[in-house]
Amino acid sequence: MVSELAFLTIAQASRLIAKRELSPVELTEACLRRIEMLDNQLDSFVTVTAGRAQAEAKAAEAAIMASGPLSRLHGIPYCLKDIFETAGIRTTAMSKQLADNVPARDSHCQEKLAAAGGVLLGKNATWEFAHGGPSWDVLFPPARNPWDRTCSPAGSSSGSAAAVAAGFAPATLGSDTGGSIRSPAAACGVAGLKPTYGLVSRRGVLPNCFSQDHAGPLAWTTEDVAVLLQTIAGHDPEDPGSADVAIPDYAAALTGNVKGLVIGVPTTWLEKEAPPSAATMAAFEAALDVFRGLGASVRPVTLPPIEQFDDAKKIIAISELFTIHAADLRKRPELFGASLRYRIIAGGLVRAEDYIQAMRLRTELARSLQAVLSTVDLLMLPTSEPAGKLEPVLPSSLFTRPSLTAAFNVGGNPALSVCSGFDARGLPFSLQIVGRLFDEPTVLRAGDAYEKAMPWRDKRPVL
Amino acid sequence: MTKTPTDDDIVRLARQAGLDLPDEFMAELIDAYGHVRQMTERLSAVRPHGDEPAHVFVASAFLPGKD
Repeated sequence: MVSELAFLTIAQASRLIAKRELSPVELTEACLRRIEMLDNQLDSFVTVTAGRAQAEAKAAEAAIMASGPLSRLHGIPYCLKDIFETAGIRTTAMSKQLADNVPARDSHCQEKLAAAGGVLLGKNATWEFAHGGPSWDVLFPPARNPWDRTCSPAGSSSGSAAAVAAGFAPATLGSDTGGSIRSPAAACGVAGLKPTYGLVSRRGVLPNCFSQDHAGPLAWTTEDVAVLLQTIAGHDPEDPGSADVAIPDYAAALTGNVKGLVIGVPTTWLEKEAPPSAATMAAFEAALDVFRGLGASVRPVTLPPIEQFDDAKKIIAISELFTIHAADLRKRPELFGASLRYRIIAGGLVRAEDYIQAMRLRTELARSLQAVLSTVDLLMLPTSEPAGKLEPVLPSSLFTRPSLTAAFNVGGNPALSVCSGFDARGLPFSLQIVGRLFDEPTVLRAGDAYEKAMPWRDKRPVL
Repeated sequence: MTKTPTDDDIVRLARQAGLDLPDEFMAELIDAYGHVRQMTERLSAVRPHGDEPAHVFVASAFLPGKD
């Protein structure tokens, strides 16, 4: 019964709660029991706020019994990557630098989720400051992949994706500067959305790279991602990058109809510049066939070279990262994990000219990307390879390995990762769906239609 | 491509940047900088004078009542 309740999606649970057939207390207790019994296998949580969750669940239950739910998240348990500041709850970014950091104020996203009546279960493991990892020399051990505990859940929102896949929580938030929502979502077989830059406030999210950080939701289904996005999207004057745009009804966009959509595939990237494995490409082609079968058309498109996106992204990121951590790098570099330190320390030697040139290239690349997206409704490509073993990786791999995700941080476009099957080991394949700026409705519509056409959401990892 | 800096050059640059690091960490920096330099070299294309970077100062964001 615990597992049955804990594996409910947000949409399923909220319907039952609204009909008063499910108690938020019962649902919260089911999640807490699974975390207590099984998270020692995954290390997906760094802090569990059990007492607070029980109190919030009781309050939600009383309010719902008195006057019905405030929102679809009322009484729904969720967790947060441990870079979202939470008032009175330690927020560490997995770093020894912040071992005793207890914020006085909630992040904007936490304020929104609390106001919607959500129940905070705790904080999830991340790569250190959402950038360096996996690491064994930071504050907590790295999270593991629930489909195979010897495998990596990828990063940096590692614990968030692992917790959702494992049925510890139906909802979580992560952050994405180069793929850090989408890659863990891919590795753990869940849905994860990097929204358009500025759609979701970054206020109170410990920064990685101001100009490319995105906060966004992870959940078991795209439908649930839409529910979460509805709650956290919106203008925040305290985030300088926040967009003042109308927020559509994301759930209403999930019509199941993708007939007539035109899907672009960046063939040069996939065939020459960053070719995925044959198995990953076969899963991707099969996913495209599903969309063809649903009435969409597929055509090749040409994007600027992937190396240009990587160069712009990484020079901008390393410069901003260094600036954020400069004081600690000068005074107490030993308190950083080796992976993060390696990945940011050379940022101190990047000249202003290089940073500005990278920002100029970003303008050019973002324009090119939007121009291509004006000719198609969506881009599709794999998010990443299925998960590899959880083991130390050369920190230099960040600089040398081309990324299929970072381009959309450079462009700021919405990008969703959904599960697209399983490999011979039983580990998830992934499909990345990229949309026009602020066109989350089309991205979510496509992800939801695909999930409903395929059986992948029926299979859960066994712990 | 400009002249490749030696390890001593990089140590000097690091110290100018306020990074007076232990040898172990300086070795990390020297190795990482090799990768960063490859990227910055690729970014060194000549661009038109008026080619705007992706960040600009937006004065309207600082109007009274905006925060």
